[in-house]
Amino acid sequence: MRRRRRRGDDAQAVLETALVIPILLLLVCNFIAVMVQVTVQEQLNAATALAAQSRFQAPENAIDPSGTRCCGERGAALATSGLPTGCRYAAETFYGTMTTDTGLLHWQGAPLCTSGGDSGNAANAPAQPVAYAGSPPNAEVSCDIGAITPGGIVVPGYLDRSLNPPSGLDVVTCTAVASLDFANTPLAWGVFWTPTLRAHAEALPPPFRQ
Amino acid sequence: MGGEFEGVPRPRRMPRARGGQALVEFAVVLPLFLFCLIGALDAGLWAVQTSAEVSAVEQAAMVASSAGGSPTSQIAPDARAVTASISGRLRTALFGTTIKSWCATNASGDCAPDAIQRCPSTPAEVQGADGPRVVVVCVSEADPPACTTPPPGHVTPYPPGCEDSPMITVRVVGFVASFVPPGFGPGAAGFELPTNISATTHTLRFAP
Repeated sequence: MRRRRRRGDDAQAVLETALVIPILLLLVCNFIAVMVQVTVQEQLNAATALAAQSRFQAPENAIDPSGTRCCGERGAALATSGLPTGCRYAAETFYGTMTTDTGLLHWQGAPLCTSGGDSGNAANAPAQPVAYAGSPPNAEVSCDIGAITPGGIVVPGYLDRSLNPPSGLDVVTCTAVASLDFANTPLAWGVFWTPTLRAHAEALPPPFRQ
Repeated sequence: MGGEFEGVPRPRRMPRARGGQALVEFAVVLPLFLFCLIGALDAGLWAVQTSAEVSAVEQAAMVASSAGGSPTSQIAPDARAVTASISGRLRTALFGTTIKSWCATNASGDCAPDAIQRCPSTPAEVQGADGPRVVVVCVSEADPPACTTPPPGHVTPYPPGCEDSPMITVRVVGFVASFVPPGFGPGAAGFELPTNISATTHTLRFAP
């Protein structure tokens, strides 16, 4: 009688362990995955913010000459000929900053640079942003140039070059979207979700810009 | 009352075999429990440290990009000045880790021009130079090629990009303190994890 009860106890202990260990590991895996997501999101935010600021750090009317490519190893396919130099600056900054954890990311490509062009007249209806001719269509970061109204509303694609424009200040808005995939990591054992990370940053021109 | 307390029977003595079983179970579960506990703690600590590093290098990149006397300067900002601007933020998060500037000094004790500087490319390089649980802040500048007279058939400016403003890169690289015991992590000394975070931006360009 005693022997049978002990064998039952053993089986119960084994069963408990078999249930608890995977749950425990599942919790740890998902906790680590959330921490990774937080840090990658931070990095994406920083890269996008610096890219938006870099867009204004090129001379105002500079255009990339033919044969210009950018962004080192990962963005070597980005040809920026004919685009405003600021677009390449934004891309170079983004690719230069977003250097770690990139193996976990699947990017949603978008046109590198869009603008509705200069209006120069506040009476004109704001144009919808369109990609510059020749803008790489599948960049990991996308920057729109537009105007921010005194009410704080961003009108993408609208640009007014007049002094103290009634439409508001120029503003650059950069976005980057990627999904975080743990499939090729040990965490894939217990992480079954694929979060989408979005970063969005706006920058105003610095004073005394050339 | 004998072996009972408020109606609950209390075993007077655990049989020796069952005591041994409990000990074995405890010995099996304890490492697993510690592994999970330390893993969760370390993941949280790592996230806090990495987030602090990311925001610090972002701030440092902005400081470094606007610190030059001229937008066409050929000299990177002094790494020690940039380190000082972010060390407070880093120290708050990187407890147990030493934060240093990475710069080769010249005869007068200043950081040498960036032509001589070379940022460490791996955390192991920092560990080899400065020991365990040390991160360094390194500032480097990539200057565009000098403009030359274009060969026939090419347009000015030549080569393409020669009129660009320099690019500044700030890197925080090394090993940060962690709970990973010796022999389990990538760090040779134990209780450390590698880090390599950088931010790049063009220098600000102002009207003369």
